[in-house]
Amino acid sequence: MQPAVDVDRLQRELESIFGPRRVSLRAVDLDTYARDMWPRLLIAYRDGIPAPHRPHAVVWPESVREVVAVVRLAREFKLPIIPYGGGSGVCGGAIPLYGGITIDTKRMQAVRALHGEELVCDVEAGLSGERFERELERRGYTFGHFPSSIYCSTVGGWLATRAAGQLSTKYGKVEDRLVGLTVVTGRGDVIETDGPNRALRGPNWTQLIAGSEGTLGIITSARLRVSPAAQLRVFRGYEVDDVHAGVEAIRRVLQKGLRPAVVRLYDELDTLINSFSHDHRDDNNPARAPVPPISTGALPAYPEPERPKHDGVVDRLLALAKGKGLRQNAMKAALGKSEFVNRLFGTVAERIARRGCRMIIGLEGARIRTEIEAALTFAELEAAGARDKGEDPGWAWLKHRYHVSYRMSPVFRDGAFVDTMEVASSWERLMDLYHSVRTAIGHHAIVMAHFSHAYADGCSIYFTFAGHAPEAAAAQRLYDAIWRDGLEATTRVGGTISHHHGVGLLKAPFMAGEHREAMAIFEAAKHSLDPDGVFNPGKMGLRQR
Amino acid sequence: MSLYDELVTAVGVDRVEPLPDLGTPPCFRVVPGSAAEVAEVIRRAGASGAAVHPVGAGARPSRIDKDPKGERSRVFISTQRLDQVLQLDEQSLLVHAQAGLTGLDLERILAPRGLSIGDYPPVVLNSSLGGIIAVRTPGKSSARHGFFEDAVVGVSAVLADGRTVHTRIAPRRATGPDLSRALCGSEGTIGFITSAVLRIHTKPEARLVGAYLLPSFDAAVSAVLFALREEAAPAGMRIYDAAEAARHFNGHVLPRGHTLLVAATAGPTDLAACDRDLITSAVIAEGGSVTDTALADLWWRRLHAGEPTPGPAPTLQIMATPSKLRPVYKAVLAEATRLGASARAHVSRFDADGAVMFYSIERDGVAADDTTAAAVERIAEQAGGWLLGARATKLDTYLRSLREHLDPHRIMNPGTLV
Repeated sequence: MQPAVDVDRLQRELESIFGPRRVSLRAVDLDTYARDMWPRLLIAYRDGIPAPHRPHAVVWPESVREVVAVVRLAREFKLPIIPYGGGSGVCGGAIPLYGGITIDTKRMQAVRALHGEELVCDVEAGLSGERFERELERRGYTFGHFPSSIYCSTVGGWLATRAAGQLSTKYGKVEDRLVGLTVVTGRGDVIETDGPNRALRGPNWTQLIAGSEGTLGIITSARLRVSPAAQLRVFRGYEVDDVHAGVEAIRRVLQKGLRPAVVRLYDELDTLINSFSHDHRDDNNPARAPVPPISTGALPAYPEPERPKHDGVVDRLLALAKGKGLRQNAMKAALGKSEFVNRLFGTVAERIARRGCRMIIGLEGARIRTEIEAALTFAELEAAGARDKGEDPGWAWLKHRYHVSYRMSPVFRDGAFVDTMEVASSWERLMDLYHSVRTAIGHHAIVMAHFSHAYADGCSIYFTFAGHAPEAAAAQRLYDAIWRDGLEATTRVGGTISHHHGVGLLKAPFMAGEHREAMAIFEAAKHSLDPDGVFNPGKMGLRQR
Repeated sequence: MSLYDELVTAVGVDRVEPLPDLGTPPCFRVVPGSAAEVAEVIRRAGASGAAVHPVGAGARPSRIDKDPKGERSRVFISTQRLDQVLQLDEQSLLVHAQAGLTGLDLERILAPRGLSIGDYPPVVLNSSLGGIIAVRTPGKSSARHGFFEDAVVGVSAVLADGRTVHTRIAPRRATGPDLSRALCGSEGTIGFITSAVLRIHTKPEARLVGAYLLPSFDAAVSAVLFALREEAAPAGMRIYDAAEAARHFNGHVLPRGHTLLVAATAGPTDLAACDRDLITSAVIAEGGSVTDTALADLWWRRLHAGEPTPGPAPTLQIMATPSKLRPVYKAVLAEATRLGASARAHVSRFDADGAVMFYSIERDGVAADDTTAAAVERIAEQAGGWLLGARATKLDTYLRSLREHLDPHRIMNPGTLV
């Protein structure tokens, strides 16, 4: 239920803070801010179902002072506040469940200071990922955070969700790069959690607020660790017999104390589907020569002038179906018989692609150490039975790695849906996690997976699934069943339900299973930082206030 | 039932020791043998209106003589018997250990399996794991293995109402705030830590040490920062100024104004050698040279093989970020001289946040008085340093509120933090 609000008064009060141009109560804006990129919403959107929840107003602050003023106003009106960055979230975290005031942070986007000797940088929360990285690149540094959403997400959004970039194995997830936060709390205060981080006694507020997805306050700026720009980048492709062998090889590398920037292991189906992409077969493909220059390899310009024809995951599924003489309708039918298709593809994968699973590994950093680490890493992989496929697959991945995330619209237009589930566990439980979740999703949809974001103690698995149902309601039911079964399987084997996409609305019902009694601490943090429950209510499994 | 009887019911008569020296109302020391007993003690103590205080290996001064008001009974819960390794996952390099084990105990358990808790300063590992985790101070870190609190993957703790929470383990997650971080550093005020899951490491294939002579303190700091920028990840590094080097190395005389740098690297042999070479190159780039490795050997043996370090404990421990190390050092030396005293220093525990500077302030060869030390400390803070163990008060309102929610009767280690 949305609270009844004197809209005219709200508009007047907001305009007294922001002026008329940075406040909107127009329907088109309220519709836009009614959703993020949660595929469940996209299914509804595609089928013309209006957004069930819209904010009362959208504002674009330019200073912390304005954020404080709007938080105080929201408390007075008893309206929720929903922080909004790039809107690229895939869990519905930005949906204004009870209406309220959506604060778009994108006009707070300054890189305030870069302290080279300290290797830290002060930035405002609304700064776009791409602009941040390009600014650092210009000055000879990198943040090392390259999520596939980098062109449409913000620093504040990353911190609010504990995002991960593609090179997280070396640089860590965003919370590992975080020194301190400036936050406007639900009490309407501005707090700074930085010290330096560990110089002072008491709990670590920085890490208690990071990942709270706007439920404890709104992040307005942050102090982040940066690294000198990479001097050397080395990428290669490998092949292993099967997923298990690949996982073991990666574990050996990481536990030896080596830190590749990226390790990706594709399961049999993912490998098979990737093999239909012409990236690695087309002799004219310029992936190899010239090798991307070090200055641009990390963040290619987007959109690129030429796009490969088959670059999206589901594009490849469709291409595969067509290649086997099936019509598009047959593809839809196939998506509806997922268990059969998973099994068929599993067998085909085994028979056709006897060569096993594909692996991409890349290192970057300071010249000398990277060179030594690369030699040790490749030697360790080969000792573990991995077969070297040369540099081409590595560079091809580096070149095309941003394409997948920006190609979802055609899939939805074709009546199907696609989504990804990123779970993680310790190495000991990883294969259990893989088999359990794959089976759970496989009852409903075509599913494939790759292993990425590896650490000395464990790894994340990124499942991609594609499903189809004849009409919107059935598609949503199917979608919900996939998530329910997948996440329950994850909790059952002791994995975590999210490695880097966050919780939002999608995973809120599973938070109790994830944290059990420890949710009491989250509730206590909520009580402390947002006693009236102003911030992003109804999310993350927190109790309603 | 009296509080004594409640406690005896929880842990047995042999494990409850009255502390008559603390007067009335009566205070007790209890030694539970399991997390379940800890929960029972806290539940019963809370119901009786008593406060509970954790007691670890006692590496820090006991809090027994705090709380002079004496308004309520207090129960000191020792973690002494929580000394088991609950699970060792060699595949994931994770250990689940109880809070009463010291870091060194755990190291002794791991060593025969070719495993190690990591290259943390042994003085840190002297404490119980519960204590190391519950008290957040700088320097619990290494350039090779990062910050100790980042090695904590999960924490089990008993809350004020007797509930036990286990923060779930995962290499990384995006399921809300890191809830274990409310317990790390909370000094027993949010929960009583009973065990923790820690990341561990395989024993390195090689360990190499090196000693270097640099023309100045500034040059030594620059060399260290240069090497770290080149991604060297040494197991340990320490800078001694000339006066400190003379004291620590039996009158070893450095050329006037010079500084000694010692470093240890570890890992796969090629990587350990690479790191040592990176440090050597950085030293040469800053105008320094390689010197007698025996000095580095002695430093490492003192750190890790228990050989005694000469001289009294340092007067001041100051943490500074990389760019503040040089100005703080300069300011401290100038202030000591101005006050007619002398200061010497070594700098150690380099990590991403900076390093810890250990100063000895002396007058006529003996430790300077408190007034001098306090004056020097003020100057160090003005120059951008932080006194080790300092506490920020700016978020006290929030900490108080967080505690109120979990512990409305303030039974968990009252008198600490806020």
